[in-house]
Amino acid sequence: MPKPAMIRRCESLDAIAILALEFGRLLMEAGSSARHVEEITTQVAIGLGAEHVHLQVNYTSLAVTICAGPDAVTRMRRVGPMGVNETLHRALSDAATRILQGGLTLTEARAELTHLRQNSPSHSGWYVAVSVGVACAAFGRLLGADSAGVAPILFASALGQMVRRQLAQHHINVFVSATAVAFLGSALCGLGARWAGSQTLATDIIAPMLLLVPGVPAFNAEYDILEGHPTIGGSRAIWVIVMVVFMTVGVWLAQGLLGVRP
Amino acid sequence: MDLSQLVQNTVCGGLAAAGFGVLFNVGFRGLTWCAASGALALALRTIALDGGWSMEAASFVAALAVGVAVQLVPSRFPVSRTALHVVGCVPMIPGAFAAKAILGLFAISAQHPVTNETFIASMDNALRVTLIVGALGAGVAIPSLLRVQNDSR
Repeated sequence: MPKPAMIRRCESLDAIAILALEFGRLLMEAGSSARHVEEITTQVAIGLGAEHVHLQVNYTSLAVTICAGPDAVTRMRRVGPMGVNETLHRALSDAATRILQGGLTLTEARAELTHLRQNSPSHSGWYVAVSVGVACAAFGRLLGADSAGVAPILFASALGQMVRRQLAQHHINVFVSATAVAFLGSALCGLGARWAGSQTLATDIIAPMLLLVPGVPAFNAEYDILEGHPTIGGSRAIWVIVMVVFMTVGVWLAQGLLGVRP
Repeated sequence: MDLSQLVQNTVCGGLAAAGFGVLFNVGFRGLTWCAASGALALALRTIALDGGWSMEAASFVAALAVGVAVQLVPSRFPVSRTALHVVGCVPMIPGAFAAKAILGLFAISAQHPVTNETFIASMDNALRVTLIVGALGAGVAIPSLLRVQNDSR
């Protein structure tokens, strides 16, 4: 690991801690595991002149203590709702590598972070909705849905994804949103599949809710526990269980509306 | 071996993984690799199931294979190893079993008296969810943990 230039010693430890925590926060919100958050936050702090970094990763907050010579500073940062954003995760990892290699000063690193936060590319809503529809239709086939059920699953899932995006933009609680989207997707799919003459209605109406299955948090929960972060791993596991319950309530309501037996 | 079933599951696994790649904001260049990861996982799981393995064992082997394959990917790749793991295994996450388990519990709460058939089906689904999720997580995590340990030496 290359040693940062001695000149960086004069950089404010406080500013380094705040910047490192901002990297950590964005990583958490982009769906990184605790180990990645720890690794990348440490790279940033060491690259800017810290000698030792101790990071505490919690579900809703991050705390860091950084030391350089006889000085030390501890800072804490609140973390927002967790999502998944692979492009931002990669951009942050690349920026942290450049900082560690001595390629960026504190001011440049701060400007880079601001640029990444404001200009991280993302797919259009329509493209995501259609892709999610195709994914859920493929899921449906894997679960045993017949060919008549595929198109209703695709359209109901795509519509569900668009509604989910709108609800997220209006800051609706994620669990309430999951129930609403699962109900809408399952009910529309059920009506469409019945009209199309599908013989696998009970399977068809489950497929559109699979867009809500929290795969990344589920894997992160397991990774975190296996990699020595049981507190955040346990919190993530509970979040996953509650999410599955709420989305199943939506399917249950749709089943009741359509009179479909499980 | 039913070849048409294998092809269908492989294609569906690839489509599901690519679709979730878009949802996770993977860049365009990385989506092909996401599809490959999902296709590999579903192809192996289908072959294992066809060979008479249980769903849990088949899922573990498929996840382990994805985990090993992903470790061979260079660090400068259009998509991160973590994302490849996850999108490859997402089509195997037993979301439908989980929903059936909870729907079964709802049905039990509405039944008086409770029938053994409903109760056993619900517990069976719940147990399968637990074991499959555990198998998937362990399968992808083992190669990753071994690499991290090796790198830190």
